[in-house]
Amino acid sequence: MSAPSPAAPAASPFRTMLSRINLQHYVVYVGFLAIFLFFAIVLRDSGFLSQRNLVNIALQTAPATIMAIGLVFVLSAGEIDLSFGSTVAVSALCAAMAMAAMPGAALPVGVAAGIGAGLLIGAINGALVAWLRLPSFLVTLATMGLVAGVARSLTQLRSIPVTDPLFTGIFGSGSLFGITSLVIWTVVGVAVGHVVYRQTRFGAHVLATGDNARAAQVTGIKVSRIRLSVFMISGGLAGLAGLLYAGRLQAAKYTLGETDLMTVIAAVIVGGTLLNGGKGSVVGALVGSLLMGMLNNGLILMGLSVSDQMIVRGLIILIAVAVSLREKNR
Amino acid sequence: MRTLTLWSFGLMAALSPVAAQEQAPVTVGPNGEPATPVAELELTDAEIEQIRAGGYTAAFAWHELYDWSGAVAQGAKDEFERLGIEVVAETTAGFDSARQQANVETIMALRPSILISLPVDPSAGASTYAAASEGGAKIVFIDNAAAGFEHGKDYVTTVSADLVGIGEKTSEAMAAALGSEGKIGYIFHDADFHVTNLRDSAFKWMIENRYDGIEIVAEAGMADPACIEDIANAMLLQNPDLDGMYVPWAEPAAGVLSVLRQQGRTDLKIVTIDLNEPAGLDMVQGGSVAALIADEAYNIGVYAARAGAASLLAREVEPFLVVDALIVTADNVAQGWQQSLHRDPPESVLNAQ
Repeated sequence: MSAPSPAAPAASPFRTMLSRINLQHYVVYVGFLAIFLFFAIVLRDSGFLSQRNLVNIALQTAPATIMAIGLVFVLSAGEIDLSFGSTVAVSALCAAMAMAAMPGAALPVGVAAGIGAGLLIGAINGALVAWLRLPSFLVTLATMGLVAGVARSLTQLRSIPVTDPLFTGIFGSGSLFGITSLVIWTVVGVAVGHVVYRQTRFGAHVLATGDNARAAQVTGIKVSRIRLSVFMISGGLAGLAGLLYAGRLQAAKYTLGETDLMTVIAAVIVGGTLLNGGKGSVVGALVGSLLMGMLNNGLILMGLSVSDQMIVRGLIILIAVAVSLREKNR
Repeated sequence: MRTLTLWSFGLMAALSPVAAQEQAPVTVGPNGEPATPVAELELTDAEIEQIRAGGYTAAFAWHELYDWSGAVAQGAKDEFERLGIEVVAETTAGFDSARQQANVETIMALRPSILISLPVDPSAGASTYAAASEGGAKIVFIDNAAAGFEHGKDYVTTVSADLVGIGEKTSEAMAAALGSEGKIGYIFHDADFHVTNLRDSAFKWMIENRYDGIEIVAEAGMADPACIEDIANAMLLQNPDLDGMYVPWAEPAAGVLSVLRQQGRTDLKIVTIDLNEPAGLDMVQGGSVAALIADEAYNIGVYAARAGAASLLAREVEPFLVVDALIVTADNVAQGWQQSLHRDPPESVLNAQ
């Protein structure tokens, strides 16, 4: 009779806790902290940690964060929207033109025109994807160009001033209890987006659609309606981002949002949303957006040349996306 | 197309301070300021010593970085180095006014003494440069000033090229290429942009008022350079007997060259503005490009930096400083590149001579 094998030592509570932690959820937070600490140390005498600079990062990333929330819903449903950047410009221009035409009711007409334009573009995208079953990549690639052309022709490339003080206060430079309006919009947008995404049946249906659309259909989820809805959410939030840009700049121009496409996509991916659907995070998108903004900010304060800024930014984003996706694929 | 052309012409007439005038046009600043030659801005040795001892810093917030703005930037950097002013940050906005605003805000965390910038959207300038103004930086604009900003209070000066002079020299080059006789097509920048609007309308005025033998028989507005080939194709289709063509700057001129090559047109002469390698190479090889009209981009940067430095000593600087323009042909291509961009032409251009 062989001797009984000695019992394996009991795992420490700490190790047990560590093994339960799913790292894929925390990549963006670790990355954010690492980059923040790096800049905080290297740029400690260059104003990085000043209140003004940190608030600037929050203000500058507000429109991108709002767009990112919309993209989380679209990606989670297994689709993609490339047109939100162009939608921002058209929404801002529609809002500015409406306010100029009706200065007596500038705020309501501006908001209605801006958000309405975004919802309309989203509805067009959604209808083409949901009912004609066209690939969302191609549809939104086409509408991106189409909407960009509309933005250019709306005012023949001219910029339109936005001067209504109520509008610019609510969507730009105003504040409430000492908190700037752009930060309020970010917090409200993320809070509402997170609750809808995580706590509502609609959010669950979005994730189910992205995870397996056929299975979702079989269980009774109206997949077409989900697809239409997420594109309208993306369009509507792009419209809101357009209002924020117009309020902050006090002008609307066809170039608004043009450079945001890759930044927002990177923020959403780094923040934990899968490109092929079924999983995502609104809070992660917020942190991803802040990370992108902090990266831009820190590289400028380091005094790097423009070319070096682009190279370093690209490398860091590549590493962050690679780590984020690698963790998810384990 | 005809409606668009007429509308564009009307827009030009409405926007341009030049087109409707009977007198010769004059270069004025974005707010109508008279132009002052940059050569009038000098610093004494004592002032230079004072600046060097001041520990000042500077930053750039560009609209975009390419050949021309790169030369402006280099001129400013060289002048700052001469004056002992450290450049602490440089950004580019990709022609995005929102990004430019964010860049200015970020730059101001470093509290530079001087900020040099070319506004992407002058009408949004007050918001874009609010952080710089509040932060006490001496702002020097290139080409355009922020709307609503007051010279001497909110910004130091605007430095630009003699835009009417560029239009004038372009017309001279066209006349020289055509022997002062011929039919030309006129492609103008169809957008609300002070620099190109003034250059284009000055060229047109000069042709119409100084060269009886040259007639503008076709006009087309170009808003997006990506559409230039379609525009040039249509113009040549409707006017096959054109002798020359004015293109508002060198980048779309490459598209026109492509169209001419496709159609086998070796007789038509192009004049355009700015130096770039494809246009320069075609010119020295005896192609369609007859001349390139360039401003002294490097000097724009030099004097922008100098103006910012002068303002640190509480010196008043004129509101609108201008540099000269020059005609660059195959005969003076090396000298032209040096005078404009402060560097040698690309090797391909030199080797083709």
